Amino acid sequence: MSKSQHLREEGNRHFQKGDYVRAEAIYSQALILDPSNPLLYTNRAMSRLRLSLWDSVITDCEACLRLSPDNLKAHYYLSQAHLALRAYPDALDHAYRAHKLSVASQDKSLSNITAQVLKCKKEKWDYEEKRRRRETSGLEQEVLSLLNKEKDQVLQQFEQMSDDSGEREELRKEFDDKIGRVREVFEKAREKEERRREVPEWAVDDITFGFMVDPVITKTGKSYERTAILEHLRRSQTDPLTREPLHPSELRANLDLKQACEEFLEENGWAADW
Amino acid sequence: MAGFATKRLGKELSKINSNSLPPGIELVSADNFEEWFLDIRVLDSNPLYLNQIYRLKFRFSPQYPIEPPEVTFVKLADRPIPIHPHIYSNGIICLDLLGQQGWSPVQNVESVCMSLQSMLTGNSRNERPAGDEEFVRANRLRPKDIDFYYDDNNV
Repeated sequence: MSKSQHLREEGNRHFQKGDYVRAEAIYSQALILDPSNPLLYTNRAMSRLRLSLWDSVITDCEACLRLSPDNLKAHYYLSQAHLALRAYPDALDHAYRAHKLSVASQDKSLSNITAQVLKCKKEKWDYEEKRRRRETSGLEQEVLSLLNKEKDQVLQQFEQMSDDSGEREELRKEFDDKIGRVREVFEKAREKEERRREVPEWAVDDITFGFMVDPVITKTGKSYERTAILEHLRRSQTDPLTREPLHPSELRANLDLKQACEEFLEENGWAADW
Repeated sequence: MAGFATKRLGKELSKINSNSLPPGIELVSADNFEEWFLDIRVLDSNPLYLNQIYRLKFRFSPQYPIEPPEVTFVKLADRPIPIHPHIYSNGIICLDLLGQQGWSPVQNVESVCMSLQSMLTGNSRNERPAGDEEFVRANRLRPKDIDFYYDDNNV
């Protein structure tokens, strides 16, 4: 066994014990000896993920992908690091690539990667939602203060020119009405945002009860989340509804439903962790 | 698959809490994601089960709903074990839906309760399964490991 292999195994041992600092240092030593081994990069990236060293995770994964462009783990870890850094488009892009590779290679990590895709969407939506709310409430304050300022100005000018208190009262009332209406409009917009949130049945997988990311359809016409139905088929190769024989190779991606789910999530990110 | 059962049961629970269960089925306790208790009763006037309430115990493995839950009747002072040719007097139920072969992950707590409810409603035989005494005395297996012989589909 080569020196770098020895070091890698030692690194793995430290990793398993939870000593990520030591593991990371030992993987680094191994990389000096064997800088073109993609495994060492993903090993180190994994330790660095545990240590929250996001930028270093990205460097390692990118080095790995230069050596091995279809490395599932590298895409998966990249997605996690980008997500931690709030680089949502990159996080989602790499989650999708990992998902595709995991489906193609029937990798066991499919369920975790499916969850990562959902997590990226949810966090992106949460972030944008927070920004939207901040901006809307800022806008409301701004509009209201402009209106109040104008009201004071107009009333002041009017007082200098005339002392018709009836007309002055009317002018004041006109402004107050306008301010009330602006408040109402913003209030209504808020209510619409907070209206009752319901996940449509068609987007929910009947096995996990989760929101579907990659629906596949069976002979009966019913769709399930890919990772959930595969898990079931590992145990019993039967259709969940009819119990007729069903082989994994008979599953087909349900592309239209997938797109509908994606579009729904785009507008309703909260549904991701329903 | 870690977290599979917890997530799914959490959703079943929130659905039960917001939509409530069908008539004759009531959630007694769901304090964790390993063991739930429910009460069921039949809705018609079947004299075998009239005015009786029965207590069901659900036990979930971390693989639920890929693996079936273990469902048995529990005997309490005011909760007898219903008489039925497929229910042993120790509460063990012989129903293909709950076995390794008959289970499907699209079933859930509510649908299992409804199946048991209709299994009782449709029964008119005032008897226990053949060999009940012997089975109750000798059986040390968990219900899921018992190889029931589903010979009688008319009951």
